Amino acid sequence: MSTATLEKTAPAKPKQKVILCEGNEAAALGVALARPDMVAVYPITPQSSLVEHVAKLIADGRMDADIVDAEGEHSVLSVLQGGALAGARTYTATCGPGLAFMFEPYFRTSGMRLPIVMTIVTRDGITPQSVWGGHQDAMTVREVGWVQMYCETVQEVLDTTVMAFRIAEHHDVMLPVNICLDGNYLSYGASRTELPDQADVDEFMGHKDVNWHVALDPLRPMAVDPLTGGSGGKGPSTFVRYRKGQCKGMQNALRVITEVHEEWAQKFGRSFSPLLEEYRLDDADYAIMTLGSMTGAAKDAIDEARDAGKRVGLIKLKTFSPFPVEALLKSLGKIQALGVVDRSVGFRWNCGPMFQETMGALYRLGRHVPAMSFIGGLAGADLTTAHFHRVIDATEQLLSNPAPIEPVWLNEND
Amino acid sequence: MGRSFNTIAFDPAKCDGCGDCMSACARVKFDSDDTSRSLIQILARENANTKGISPGAGSSFELALCRQCGDPKCVTVCPAGALTKNNETGVIDWDGSRCVDCLLCTIGCTYAGISLDEATGRVSKCDTCDGNPACVPACPHDALKYITTSNIYNEVGDWEDLFAPGLAGCQGCNTELLMRHTLRRVGPDTVLATPPGCVPGMGSVGFNGTTGTKVPVFHPLLTNTAAMLAGVKRQYKRVGREITALAIAGDGGASDVGFQSLSGAAERGEQMLFMVVDNEGYMNTGMQRSSCTPYGAWTSTTPVGKAEEGQKAVAQGKTQDAKNMPLIMVNHRCDYVATASTAYMEDLYEKLDKAIAASRTGFAYLHVYSPCTTGWRFPTDQNMEVARKAVETNFVMLWEYTPEQGLHFTKPVDQPLPVTEYLKAMGRFRHLSPEQIAHIQGKVEENRRMVEKLAEQVHGG
Repeated sequence: MSTATLEKTAPAKPKQKVILCEGNEAAALGVALARPDMVAVYPITPQSSLVEHVAKLIADGRMDADIVDAEGEHSVLSVLQGGALAGARTYTATCGPGLAFMFEPYFRTSGMRLPIVMTIVTRDGITPQSVWGGHQDAMTVREVGWVQMYCETVQEVLDTTVMAFRIAEHHDVMLPVNICLDGNYLSYGASRTELPDQADVDEFMGHKDVNWHVALDPLRPMAVDPLTGGSGGKGPSTFVRYRKGQCKGMQNALRVITEVHEEWAQKFGRSFSPLLEEYRLDDADYAIMTLGSMTGAAKDAIDEARDAGKRVGLIKLKTFSPFPVEALLKSLGKIQALGVVDRSVGFRWNCGPMFQETMGALYRLGRHVPAMSFIGGLAGADLTTAHFHRVIDATEQLLSNPAPIEPVWLNEND
Repeated sequence: MGRSFNTIAFDPAKCDGCGDCMSACARVKFDSDDTSRSLIQILARENANTKGISPGAGSSFELALCRQCGDPKCVTVCPAGALTKNNETGVIDWDGSRCVDCLLCTIGCTYAGISLDEATGRVSKCDTCDGNPACVPACPHDALKYITTSNIYNEVGDWEDLFAPGLAGCQGCNTELLMRHTLRRVGPDTVLATPPGCVPGMGSVGFNGTTGTKVPVFHPLLTNTAAMLAGVKRQYKRVGREITALAIAGDGGASDVGFQSLSGAAERGEQMLFMVVDNEGYMNTGMQRSSCTPYGAWTSTTPVGKAEEGQKAVAQGKTQDAKNMPLIMVNHRCDYVATASTAYMEDLYEKLDKAIAASRTGFAYLHVYSPCTTGWRFPTDQNMEVARKAVETNFVMLWEYTPEQGLHFTKPVDQPLPVTEYLKAMGRFRHLSPEQIAHIQGKVEENRRMVEKLAEQVHGG
């Protein structure tokens, strides 16, 4: 789904208050609009101001939610699991070491099909120690059944936060959702932001029904998460059925994410590419691929390269999990070479994780597209247009030269 | 559900066969000196002095007396409907007007509790003298007692057992007893959290689509029981529904990996009852050490070393003392904290009631010592005896705490037995050296002084 298509069908925007706010505040405002019943919080840089905003919204009476100041991220997510099983719409945010600490309940949330929404204010680390931005935290947990969407702008953070609840709670999905927003660049970057009207959001959200499938309720007693598996009897089949259902839910999410973004565009007049965005790609010979807030500088570099006569375009991924293979294949079908910029590393393949996953999609294309991996923006390092010109130039070389095996480390000498 | 009734209990170890009970019975019931007519008969034991583990097994006497059975064979075999179990008194009544003197009942009874009275040619049996049996005060050796039994059973026996029959606990499992009683008391408007351990291990949460529990039940993680349960409770509170949030956790899930979430929930005053079934180790997963395992105890990860010839064994059981979880919870200033033991059921029930009430407004913590026949290495019929000895030696102390009333003993043991009386009852301490026993005795006394001091401080002020 391209941006242009959505814009054509978008009606006139409803009246919306315009504010100046940072990404963390935008996330908090988005959460308030979605009216969760329960929020559990534990502070961690660079997420802290997000939960401080949420706490203040609740203290000020602008948001009617039960706030649990838990003693750590592990309990944060556990409290929300209990709440969701009792019927609550639930929210939290974390990053880096906090995400690592909550990994045990994090893995379990998708298995129990609990539609919990959690912002990851992405952070690099854990060691070498770093409190700065980077996608390593979210990328590390990409394989345990959460939907993960990366935002490019502060406005997209606010809007995606509201949409995330609709996606998570859709009966064909019933999976937890991460909104990934770049630590430092989006968390603390202030932008002009339009704030939707509460009544309009209420209409958009519709009826809440989060524990129809699994509940801890004396009025409909059941055993939640009994032991499965083992050999013989119903053991393996029960487990397999659950697992297969999770994978189906992930695939359904691709459709639901698209539908919810379309509905949002219709209602609020702002369209965001739900799975991926193509930028000046239709007549491009080659492309670079980006994720998150780095995309702004990358688009500027593409514009400059185009002005210099280079036939280069850009693919920005928004939905990383589930990986939008079909949509990506359409985009990759247009180009002859690809450079993928990751803000994290994949230790096993000596490349960026997005590069690695894209290579998997490229196999399905049925023709060879030379591609190379760029790793940049680690630990809060800035990715400027100069960096992206290096990416563009190196990718252009792939049209005539074989692709190097080693990744290019963009901030190695910064 | 039936009822349980009072009974005449006989302690053969105290009986010297004097026959005073029989004389009293014959006099009261028949105005006779002929003790052969007595409805209680003390008989010389045929295989006297047999060694056995039960008290009195070596005694010379045994008892022939109507046990007023709950499932009486005499009633079943009677063809005339002359014998009936009286559901008010518990006594098996004999109706002479219906009896045809066939004597089938005398064959049906295993206890020789109903027999032919040759003076009348009819059967006769004990009727407990309408609840005031003449034989009991007649005994000069205190070998007979008229015991008030099962008050608790009669009170709660009709309440629904909210666990399914056939849970797969070990034979003689103390935890199953505790679970069933607890859930009866708490009732159906409950959400039950049972973290990994014996409680779900015996099937309470279930396996492949089955469940052993009739209330909503779930596996939390071993690490997050209190946090998950807090989330459940909070949401019901938010929507105005009253439920009891109950956790039945093992000592590992409370004192080790689950401690952080437990401490956090207690500090926040989350409204729940957190019950710890302390069997002093990871018994479900193969009897490994937890931080509640006592010093010296064998577990599968604190083995008793056996040296090769010429070498020296390094370890003989656990080398550290147990963490005192209930005192740690007192220092969280929970709304209610208590220790309990299944050997003292009425004490346990009182505490359970208080803990349930406290869980309506804050955090309630109930720490129940639960001897483990499998992991502690003792015969299944010794479960209550082990639990009792733990208290009688002050190895375990029974007390309760509230912020208002402070801490006080509910079953103070001022003249405790030496701790060896407890230690020798089970195999996990079999290897202890005199030094290790001295260490344990010292710790028992130190713990006692500490709890006493706490009790004095909060009371004496």
